[in-house]
Amino acid sequence: MISVQNLTKVYKLNARKMKELKTSEGRKIAVNDVSFEAKPGEIYGLLGPNGAGKTTTLRCIATLLKPTEGSVSVNGFDTVTEGEKVRGAIAFLTNEINLDPHFTPSYLFHFFGQLHGMTEEAIARRREELFSVFDIGGFADKKIDELSTGMKQKAAIAVTLVHDPQVVIFDEPTSGLDILTARTVTDYLRKLRDEGKTVIVSTHIMSEAEKLCDRIGIIIGGRKVSEGTLAQIYAGTGADDLEEAFFRLYKEYGEADA
Amino acid sequence: MKKIGIVLKKELYRVFSDKKLILSLFVLPAVLMFALYGLIGMLERNMSRDIETHVPVTYIVNATDGLKAAAAAAGFDKNASIDYLTEEAYLTLKDRLTEDIREGAADLIVILDKDFEKTFAAYQGQGDKIPGVGILFNSAENYSQQAYAVFSGVLETYRMMLLEQRLGNLEKIVAFAQRDTEIVKEGKANTQFIAMMFPYMIMIMLFSGAMSISVDAFAGEKERGTLASMLIAPVKRTDIAAGKVIALAIIAALSSVVYAVSMILSMTLMGNTISGGAGGFGGVSFNAGQVLELGLMLIVLDYLFVAVIAVLSSFSKDVKSASTLVTPVYMVVLACALMTMFSSGAKNSLTRYAVPLYGNALALQDICTGELSAQGFLVSFGVTALLAGLLTFLLAKIFDSDKLMFNA
Repeated sequence: MISVQNLTKVYKLNARKMKELKTSEGRKIAVNDVSFEAKPGEIYGLLGPNGAGKTTTLRCIATLLKPTEGSVSVNGFDTVTEGEKVRGAIAFLTNEINLDPHFTPSYLFHFFGQLHGMTEEAIARRREELFSVFDIGGFADKKIDELSTGMKQKAAIAVTLVHDPQVVIFDEPTSGLDILTARTVTDYLRKLRDEGKTVIVSTHIMSEAEKLCDRIGIIIGGRKVSEGTLAQIYAGTGADDLEEAFFRLYKEYGEADA
Repeated sequence: MKKIGIVLKKELYRVFSDKKLILSLFVLPAVLMFALYGLIGMLERNMSRDIETHVPVTYIVNATDGLKAAAAAAGFDKNASIDYLTEEAYLTLKDRLTEDIREGAADLIVILDKDFEKTFAAYQGQGDKIPGVGILFNSAENYSQQAYAVFSGVLETYRMMLLEQRLGNLEKIVAFAQRDTEIVKEGKANTQFIAMMFPYMIMIMLFSGAMSISVDAFAGEKERGTLASMLIAPVKRTDIAAGKVIALAIIAALSSVVYAVSMILSMTLMGNTISGGAGGFGGVSFNAGQVLELGLMLIVLDYLFVAVIAVLSSFSKDVKSASTLVTPVYMVVLACALMTMFSSGAKNSLTRYAVPLYGNALALQDICTGELSAQGFLVSFGVTALLAGLLTFLLAKIFDSDKLMFNA
């Protein structure tokens, strides 16, 4: 269970960043008063264009960023005051967090299993299961450095799931993957949902969101502009597919921001 | 606590499973030291052998039989090519010979006054003429300098021969006999050289050892996004900080041990050709108390160095800016170590030991000379340990800061 309440995250910009973003304002509101809940047994999708605030929101949930205002809780634990408990309950996958290329998937799987306080038998059992689901077996003892992009991503997913977490937070989990690997990943996310886990993913790929997510929150310019099942979003926007619905929302809310 | 161990083990494995790192941290420094000091030793030996075996080209003007006898007694005539010249002959050759000395073609010109021994014999009392010897040599040429040194011995023999002739008994001119007895405080026997060099060498080796791995382990991992993978695990930030710093301190210590051992060994192998080198290290002896103090001081100092570099590196955006931040600290460490090299040896006040880095260098020096008081040790050790602990907590705070770790 993830509960995001009135989350606002403001970045302070230094002189260089201000120049990069061509702004004279010393702060940037990345997420603006966003609230939503993701429940066990569902896949919640955060949909939005690049820079909308999806990753920032997920990082706040994963305890890596502290909300400027509002609060986030995971399974009842506050992400700021009970960060360690939150981290024990989640798996977090994002592009900017990487496995050390010097190690093998096997070593890192074992290492993170230990950090999660798992026993040797439990680690071995999970290893067998996840390495077979993601077809890592033959590459388990090769350095991450020597793996293909797809295999690296699959290894990263396996390692983040070592402790069989109740809450799974994946930031653009299929980006850069071929169609087969992407399918393995989305299939596994469905399996996790069916097991009663809380799954939240971010994506800017409409077809993926349509097929994968039970509920979708659309974020534009740091604000949540729509939320619900596909049917609810279609009804709200008068569109008959997600892409069309998104464009209509973007016209309504995005252009004011741009 | 258990998680510190898990992180520590992983960091150690990270280094010891990387052939390139092992090569650059442990193998190459040893090879480099042996090669460098071996080469210096070989060149030095060759040079001194060459100087010793060189046949000095010597001109002696107005040589007397007595001088020739003295040269024979000192064995100089056998190892040198000597041309005996009359004063007339010398005057015609003077310019050319002087030029030869300047250019290194000749090594020594010795000019005795005309009628040297006659003048000597004619001496009656104060005011009478005293014969003189002029020597031309080139202090910039090793051969010439060596010839000058050897010939000074010949002249000394000659002087004694003449004086004995005049006085009959040389004891008349011996006013007193000097007897020297050295009194050295036990433990301070470690020579001036080592006491002077010791803190400097230790601090450089420890810091550079720490620097080579720690910048990458923090700034590099931050840049590559691998540090963040640990930050999303359910581990206390302080455990990650302590685990990483301890592991790196162990590696830095091992690396400096390799440096030190290979340096001492290669200096010893090199022989005593460089004065104070092998002799200085050979003369080192520590008692059990000193060894304990030294060990504790090195451990805490090593940890402090890694912690300082870790904080600066984690504060930085990438490896490049981390190196820029760490370099001035390296200079401060060098300066502190250098300052102790030129201390007068006066007793140090306790407050001096409390100054981080400088106090450590002082303490290391005083351990070496056996002059460190128990209070001095405790002050220096305590301040360093406290600072190292504070830096570990600061490092954990940095890990916890979304602004510093994720540019938020």
